[in-house]
Amino acid sequence: MKKEHAWRYSTLGILLTALAVFVIIQMLRIQLSPEADTLRNQGEIFSGEYKTITPARGQIYDRWGHLLAGNKTVYEAGVDLIDVVDPTTIAFALNAVVGVEYEDVYAAASQDPESGIVYATLARFVTEEQKIRLEELADQMDGAYGEGDGEQVKSLAGLRFTPSLQRSYPEKSLGSNILGFVNWDGEGFFGIEERYDEQLAGEKKLVWISRDPNKVEEQPEIPSGASLILTIDRAVQSEVEKIVDKTIEESGSESATIVVMDPRTGDILAMATSPRLDLNEFWRYGEVFEGATPFNRAVSGTYEPGSVFKVLTMASALDSDTVKPQTPFLDTGAIEIGGIVIRNWDSGAWGPQDMLGCMQHSLNVCLAWVAKQVGANQFYTYMDAFGFGHLTGVDMALEDSGRLKHPGDSDWYEADLGTNAFGQGVAVTPLQMAAAISAMANDGKMMVPRIVLSIIDDGKQYNTSPQVAGMPVSDETAHELTKMLATSLEVESSAALVEGYRVAGKTGTAEIPTPFGYTSNQTNASFVGWGPVDDPRFLVYVWLEKPTTSPWGSVVAAPVFREVVERLVVMMNLPPDDIRKRFLESQ
Amino acid sequence: MNRVNSLTQAYSQAPWRKQLQWIGLFLLILILAALVAGIYLSVTARAATIGRRIQGIYTEMEDIERNIEDLQTQLADLTSKTVMEQRAAELGFQPASSDQMIYVAVQEYQRPDHALLGSTPGIELPDEQILAPEYTQSLFDWLRERVFEPAAPLLVEVNP
Repeated sequence: MKKEHAWRYSTLGILLTALAVFVIIQMLRIQLSPEADTLRNQGEIFSGEYKTITPARGQIYDRWGHLLAGNKTVYEAGVDLIDVVDPTTIAFALNAVVGVEYEDVYAAASQDPESGIVYATLARFVTEEQKIRLEELADQMDGAYGEGDGEQVKSLAGLRFTPSLQRSYPEKSLGSNILGFVNWDGEGFFGIEERYDEQLAGEKKLVWISRDPNKVEEQPEIPSGASLILTIDRAVQSEVEKIVDKTIEESGSESATIVVMDPRTGDILAMATSPRLDLNEFWRYGEVFEGATPFNRAVSGTYEPGSVFKVLTMASALDSDTVKPQTPFLDTGAIEIGGIVIRNWDSGAWGPQDMLGCMQHSLNVCLAWVAKQVGANQFYTYMDAFGFGHLTGVDMALEDSGRLKHPGDSDWYEADLGTNAFGQGVAVTPLQMAAAISAMANDGKMMVPRIVLSIIDDGKQYNTSPQVAGMPVSDETAHELTKMLATSLEVESSAALVEGYRVAGKTGTAEIPTPFGYTSNQTNASFVGWGPVDDPRFLVYVWLEKPTTSPWGSVVAAPVFREVVERLVVMMNLPPDDIRKRFLESQ
Repeated sequence: MNRVNSLTQAYSQAPWRKQLQWIGLFLLILILAALVAGIYLSVTARAATIGRRIQGIYTEMEDIERNIEDLQTQLADLTSKTVMEQRAAELGFQPASSDQMIYVAVQEYQRPDHALLGSTPGIELPDEQILAPEYTQSLFDWLRERVFEPAAPLLVEVNP
């Protein structure tokens, strides 16, 4: 190496060493400076993000696997503020396509990214169609104005879409009173959605997602929420809802409620009432359910049931051996109990009767006498066993327990025994009545009404078991009473009779109390029936609120029962009695 | 003494040879360092690429799961009661009444009581290993297995 060149290498060496020393000093200075923590934190923030992973909400099916509640993709529209070129056009576009307020969007999209805010949410729950429309608009603007700059440029640059899942109800209003709905924030309200909210929603998890590909970690596998299979049969539910709507129109009723149960298991096959809500438009709830209208009258609507309650009064009397079907009773048209005079529905005297006649003619005087013979303590013990004043245990939100006064309660009087005997002065829900009377159709065993048939969790299907709520009466009593009520319908040539099928049942007409007593002409008309009598497969409970064409259950509610059963036997593949018996004999 | 000096002189290396040795050693270290750095960079780059792919696959999985939910709901929309009734009516069908029904007894036929949409709990599928150990074992695992379990065959026959 020539000496004259050595100084150049030395100088270069010194410069490089100085540079290295400078870099090291700068590193140390930054590491030890007061801003070091802030810078470290900023680095942490930008190295990844915390993300809440929300599992897909579990689905709800009918008993045959038809989807009643599922999920669909919706988007959150937002802007990366640093990329926004034209907040005015963004606000116009979102206002026109999504319907959000122009001022709100403009204010959010005009924020200065220098202020530390990098992203702003403009609209939530944007549908797939709206997103596609906005993307098309963005493409058209890009095509028309290109990458140009200036005030004349119209652009949706910066607009971003983040997908998420939102509840969707393919059957719209079908079974809406049973299902309930899920609001924008994913919370379940009413019915199954509220009762099983926790299980359906699953468990959210907050996870750290690193942006550094070298630090990618396995994301925890978050299972979807549990799915439910209901006891409801979509076809039966749909038919019964149609009958509810038709009945309201034809009878001029304020509302109608029909419950269809399998008395052997307590399975609710259909529970239709009014009004109903298209669950995809749940925000119209307040508009559809005005005032204190219950979301589901079958479980939350209490009323005085009237003469259908006589089934239970007679059951308690037969079961306690107080009376027999042939026990005679002389109806004089009036009976005094606890200081009040009870009269028949027609204020007439029906003369000599037996218990079958009392039920057939629905005589208040006779049934009040029967209750008196049973005795207050025993009568209310039976009514407790039938579940009145208690929740039925059905897996639905907002169930009402109704009210049954007992001897010893401050507001119970001896007269209540007489009026309770024919279903006045007692508050019940249609489901309570259906569950209690189902004991007559199931050898005296009362089942807990069941709405959830199976729970599917992590791919495994767990079936629920039918549960016996109790055995308020013996099987002999149940059979005897069923026979009496079947004969009673046949002798009366009731409008409830169904050709080919022997059914048992009872009508009910209850006056509606006002603050001044039973002074209004308005009634609650009901009918309860079950069949086929020798092997009951269904129990149908009908309640019409304030019918205007006729106040009588026998006129407005009994034909509804027949109509329901005529459709039901087809959908349930129940052959007429004679064919069924022939099949059984041949086997 | 002269003899010692002459021997030292005879066996001592020329200064340029020593320099050459030092330079050689330096270059060797440099090449080794470069080699290690190169391998490190290559492995890191591959890991980063795979990391990015994993991130992409996670996003893709989320998209697919949402897509499945969407398709299930769309299918349910298309087969909803109202739509099916409308289609049936358009094809000339009408609801059957009880007197139009014909009942046929089918021996030993058990009509299912409800839908079966999940597996029965209690029947667990065997925990089947999908990937061969070659794809999951590290080099050290393999060595340990070979050292401590010498009886293990080198090749495992895999059924097609």
